[in-house]
Amino acid sequence: MEIPGNVTTARQMGLVACTRCTKVWPGETERCGRCGHRMQSRDPGSLQRAWAWWVVGLICYIPANTYPMLSTRTLVSKSEDTIVGGAVELAHHGSYGIAIVILVASVLIPIGKFAVIAALAIGVRRGTRMSQLRRHQLYEVVEYIGRWSMIDVFVVAILSSLVQLGALASIAPGKASLFFALSVIFTMLSAQSFDSRMIWDRDSEPTPQPLQPQEVHA
Amino acid sequence: MTETPPNVPIRPARRSFFERVSIVWVVPLVALVIALGVAWQSYADRGPVVEIAFENASGVVAGQTELRYRDVAVGLVETVSFTESLGKVLVGVRLDKAVAEYVDDESEFFVVRPEITSRGVSGLETVLSGVYIQGDWDTEPGGFTPLHEGSADSPLMVGGKRGKRLVLRAAPEASLTERSPIVYQGLEVGQIGRANITDDGNTIEAEAVVFAPHDRLISSATRFWDASGFSFSLGPGGARLDFSSVASLVSGGVTFRTVVSGGEPVEDGQVFVVYPDEGSARSSVFSEEDGPRLNLSAIFEDHASGLSEDAPVELGGIRIGRVTALNGVVDADRFGDERVRLAVTLSINPSRLGMDGDIGADAALEFLQRRAQEGVRARLVNASLLTGGLKVEMIEIEEPDLDPAEIDLTHEPNPLFPTTESDIADVSATAEGVFERINALPIEELLDSAIGLMDNISRVAGSPDLRALPTDLRATIGEVRGTVEEVRNVIGSEDIQALPGRITAVADQLEILVSDLNERDVAGRVLAAFDATQEAAADVSKVSQGLPELFESIDAVAKKAANLEIEQLTEELTGLTRNARTLLGSDQAQALPAAVTATLAEIDTILSEAREQGMTDSIVTALNAARDAAGTVSRSFEGVPDLVDRLNAVAAKAETVPLDQLGEDLSALLNSANQVLDTDGARQLPEDLGNALQELQAVLQELREGGTVENVNATFDSARQAADTLREIAQQLPAILSQARSVLSRAGSTIEGYDADRGVGRDLAIAVREVQRAAEAVSSLARALERSPNSLLFGR
Repeated sequence: MEIPGNVTTARQMGLVACTRCTKVWPGETERCGRCGHRMQSRDPGSLQRAWAWWVVGLICYIPANTYPMLSTRTLVSKSEDTIVGGAVELAHHGSYGIAIVILVASVLIPIGKFAVIAALAIGVRRGTRMSQLRRHQLYEVVEYIGRWSMIDVFVVAILSSLVQLGALASIAPGKASLFFALSVIFTMLSAQSFDSRMIWDRDSEPTPQPLQPQEVHA
Repeated sequence: MTETPPNVPIRPARRSFFERVSIVWVVPLVALVIALGVAWQSYADRGPVVEIAFENASGVVAGQTELRYRDVAVGLVETVSFTESLGKVLVGVRLDKAVAEYVDDESEFFVVRPEITSRGVSGLETVLSGVYIQGDWDTEPGGFTPLHEGSADSPLMVGGKRGKRLVLRAAPEASLTERSPIVYQGLEVGQIGRANITDDGNTIEAEAVVFAPHDRLISSATRFWDASGFSFSLGPGGARLDFSSVASLVSGGVTFRTVVSGGEPVEDGQVFVVYPDEGSARSSVFSEEDGPRLNLSAIFEDHASGLSEDAPVELGGIRIGRVTALNGVVDADRFGDERVRLAVTLSINPSRLGMDGDIGADAALEFLQRRAQEGVRARLVNASLLTGGLKVEMIEIEEPDLDPAEIDLTHEPNPLFPTTESDIADVSATAEGVFERINALPIEELLDSAIGLMDNISRVAGSPDLRALPTDLRATIGEVRGTVEEVRNVIGSEDIQALPGRITAVADQLEILVSDLNERDVAGRVLAAFDATQEAAADVSKVSQGLPELFESIDAVAKKAANLEIEQLTEELTGLTRNARTLLGSDQAQALPAAVTATLAEIDTILSEAREQGMTDSIVTALNAARDAAGTVSRSFEGVPDLVDRLNAVAAKAETVPLDQLGEDLSALLNSANQVLDTDGARQLPEDLGNALQELQAVLQELREGGTVENVNATFDSARQAADTLREIAQQLPAILSQARSVLSRAGSTIEGYDADRGVGRDLAIAVREVQRAAEAVSSLARALERSPNSLLFGR
């Protein structure tokens, strides 16, 4: 979809859209006449929440990488590997594919999410050279892909539950798995907290405008 | 577009900070606080790093190898690096803070690795899980020490076990196995640690520990011995197989027992000797093997076989130590040749040197040094001649050319004691020589001779003649005994018993008489008489010079007499004796002593009377006369030599006398006498003799009563007169003698004419010898007669 350079937002047209049922109402409408959802043109705390979740997510991400992700105990050995360590170990053993999957799912994606969210949040406040459309696409990718980051946690959870052979071998989740899961959750919350409509606000200072019959995008 | 009023810029009032700030910020703040809190806590809880130096770090992995205390992980290896000069591996261990204070100076660290010994497998878990470092420290916090020396082996006491640490030293022949158990009554009460060879290389020492509470069993009287292996003995009690336990049979081990009471508690580090078996351990209590030892070396020039370990070392015959090692030494630089010499290690027990107090090895060395300077040397001597075993003897050599020497204190590994030439007797060679000699002896011939001798003796002994001998002897002895009995009867008679009394009385009388004579200077007179007699004897001496010739003639006579059948005579005499005995045995003979006694009493009376009547005076006078007569005789003997010559002639004639006939006659006479004695008449004789004696007694009595003494006096007077007459005659004798001499000289000259041809002198000598023999015969005859007084009865 090719979006022309100047997109007029609903806010500019004095309208407000319901974020739940997407019906557009005049700007002063308090509640959505269809679903009763509280109407708000822009969420003033969106950026703050996004940043807050983002910080917590980042904090959690540090131990998620320093602590072992998986504790594997067999009859002969007991190994505890961190996420990166395990991937390197796998790569050493020649399993490059799995190593890449782990690296992408557990390192690349979470870090990318942190970077994208931070970039979007900064771009909302400071402006950016990247087009609004591109930023919106990024936001959608982040929101879509965020849940897949939990693949690592799922693997750990499944292995832990499956491989419980008593004294012979057992796999237990390490501390990192919890932090990683928390990190993923917090980044998802961060992404959700981000009000993507702000991408389209060209001005740093949103100015309320009278309702005008204009093309309403959203 | 419609006109709209211009937008009035409406700026809402700025909300307060708390209104603007989202509540969500609480979450990251809490997260941050938690993170910081965790970080702080983990930092605060982190213990110190202890660095342990190991010889090697086999199996130690940084970040993975744990430090365990009582099998609980209390730390983790963080770093594995080297010491500065790469000499050792330095393992850094992050300790738990809780135990850090306990890791003090005395802590021990060792790497637990899988270990398979004869006693079992230990550390098996480390095969799979990897090694871990075992830490051991006591329960008293002693301040953290950051640097430690790790031991390669597990210490004997781990995990807070307590006990007594000992040092065990293996006696020769005893074995000491590392890591073997110490067993007491079959119960494992301790363990032997790593064994080391002592500095001098002769014995093995090992650290050992006896765990509490069994360590109270150890005292200074405790003896250890090797319990490994088994002993089998076969004796009167049957076969006997000894071994402590199957485990110690395989793995070795020592056991102990306090063999005597009175031991004192020992300190940690006490040295005990491990003996090869129980017997030697028990006997060692009295041999004082313990205590400081002085080790010396001695090099012997001659490499003699027979010296063995444990051979005694003696000083002045007292055992002061033993040989602990034997080695051959070849040192061309030192000795100048490449001969093999015998290097012996001597273990001296200072307490055996007999010095005061409890002396140590140094004092003993000083003492031996002095002795060596005085000339004491070590040498090999035979310990046992049978086995050929040798011993080492320290003996003072007293050779003037002895080189001065002393103990070489610089010699390694032990001071070198000077030696000297060995004194080894080659017993086997000597013994062989002896046996060869014995072998060469003609035993067979000797035995043959001996057998022959025995046969002969047996034959002689078996002859009937010899068997009859005892019977004859017994008869003879019976005769002798009978005779003796008779004699005893005679002697035992009361009369004989009374005789001494009588004789004493007579002697008393005589004594009185003699004293009387004394009073009258009889002695002086007698002396004068003797002087005269001496003169006469001198003359006689002169006379006797001619006697040899006479004797020769007499000898001839005697020779004849010697030819007489003396034996027969003797036999007859024997018969006579028998008869005499019969006579003596008769009652009359028994009565004789009584008669004699009576006669003696009479004589006694007469003598007393004689004394009373001045008989001594008469005797004195008579003696005077006798002296005069003797003097006269002396004078008259001056002519005797010629007379002797004559006598010689007479003797020569006598030689011709048929003495043989005479002897025969005598023999016949004796026979007759014997027969006579055998007759009843002869047996009657004693009775008659007794009667005669009684009569004699009566006569004497009469004599006494009838003034016999006076008559005797008269007789003495007559005798004196006769002596006087004799003196007168003697005074005339010189004239006679001169006449005789002239006659004899004439006869001598006449004989001289015949001398050369007829050898009268020689004949005379022969005659004298004959006479001598005759005299001897007569003498023996006289003795025979003396023994048989009854011949007197016949006036012979």
